[in-house]
Parts: sequence; structure tokens; C-alpha cells
Amino acid sequence: MEMFLMGLCLSMLGVAAAALAFGAATRGEPGRAEGEIQAKAAEAPPLTVSMGTPRFFAAGTGLPPHQPVPLDVLLLQIERHVRLEQAAAESFINQPSSASLHSRTMSPLAH
Amino acid sequence: MTSGLPELLRGVAESDAAAILSLGSRVHLQSGAVLFSLGDDADTLFLVERGRVALTLPLQVGGRDEDVLVEERQPGQTVGWSALIPPHRFTLKAAALVETELLGLSRAALLDYFATRPEAGHAVTRNLAAVIGQRLQVFQAMWLREVQRVVDHRSA
Repeated sequence: MEMFLMGLCLSMLGVAAAALAFGAATRGEPGRAEGEIQAKAAEAPPLTVSMGTPRFFAAGTGLPPHQPVPLDVLLLQIERHVRLEQAAAESFINQPSSASLHSRTMSPLAH
Repeated sequence: MTSGLPELLRGVAESDAAAILSLGSRVHLQSGAVLFSLGDDADTLFLVERGRVALTLPLQVGGRDEDVLVEERQPGQTVGWSALIPPHRFTLKAAALVETELLGLSRAALLDYFATRPEAGHAVTRNLAAVIGQRLQVFQAMWLREVQRVVDHRSA
């Protein structure tokens, strides 16, 4: 009986110690993560977009994922892309063929 | 205006072209000024006489709307054909890229004139169909090129 009670007490102590250790570990993480996120948000320039996200024409952009591009640079790239694509489309209309429809483009947004 | 008639009046008798042009009123835009916005009522068709007009659509970039160039119109070209095509709402935004002059032709004035001169109405309608057809063909080809890239990207 004494042995059983001693075993029970030791087990309860072990569970309590494990619970305390788990609680301490999980309390510490969010605080550090939030601090890091806030610090990164403060450092990040406000007008950039991640080119890794397929927001434009769904296809890959050819740039490494999550590389921030200044907004004005991205808008210029889009404008150039549209002009190049229009020129390619007009060329197709003048001489319709599968080859002219799928001619390569110099636009960086398409590679 | 560039030499010759604007694209909308090609094939129209000279007297009719002059009469149609006389129906218009001049619009002067400073660089960056908006001619019309997406969703506005379209009751006036414009002929670009001088300068350049950017036709844009809003693209969501970084969580906010940014005007993205869709087409650029130059002297002699037509802007705002939604004025003659139901439901008479502009489906793009138009803004001057540089100091620009246009001739605005109201739908009511044009339709009244075409009622008295059906030949002129027919020629203008044919020219308008060419402008609309060109837009359709260009965007059809652009769309297919983008879809092809998506297919290539997914199957790579």
C-alpha cells in the first residue's frame, strides 16, 4: 500500500512538472513571434508587393517567391507587359497563325 | 486632327462628315485629367484630335486598386464607343496621358443625324464595328496567350 501511494505521488509530481514545462514553453513563443513580426512590419517599405503571389495573370512571374517589388516598378512592368502583348496580338491579327499567336514575349512578367 | 478623316468617319461622304463634326463640342484635358470613369453613364463619344488618352482598368495590387493600362488612343481614333452601344456605361476609365483635345459627339445628336442620313449612319456604324472588332480580337489573342502561359506553367 505504501509503495502504491509513493508511486502515485511520484506520477502526479511528474505530470505536474511536465504541465508546467509545457505551459512555460507555449507562453514564451507567441510573444517573441509577435515582436519579430512587428519589428519586420516596421522595417518593411509600405508600397511593395510580393511577386511570388500569383496575382497577375495567374502565371509565375519568374522572380523568386516573396521578393518585394516597389509598386511603381511593378506598375511599369505591367504597362510594358500590356503594350508588348498588344503588339503581339495585333501581329497575330495581321497574320493569324498558331506560331504568331504563341510568339515569345520579352516581358519579364511572362517568364 | 491628323490628316484625313478620323477612323469613325472613314467612307462617310464629305458633306456628312463635316456635318457630323459640326455636331461636336471640344473637350480640352490637361495631362492626367480624367475624361470618364469606369461605370459612368456613356452618352458621349469622343474623337481624339490631339494628344493621347489612356484607357485603364483597376487591378488589385498590394490590396488596393491601381489603374492599369489596357489601351492607348491617339489622334484620329475613337474613345467611348459605349455611348452608342447599350447599356451605355463606360467599362474603362479614360484619362489624358498628355495635354489632349477631343471632339465630343453626343449620342442624341448622332442618332438624330443618322435618322435623317441613314447612309452616314450605316458608314459610321460599320467603322464602329471595326473599332469594337479590333478590341475583341486583340483581347481574345491576349487572353489566349495568357492562358497558354498558365498551361505551360502548370505542365512544366
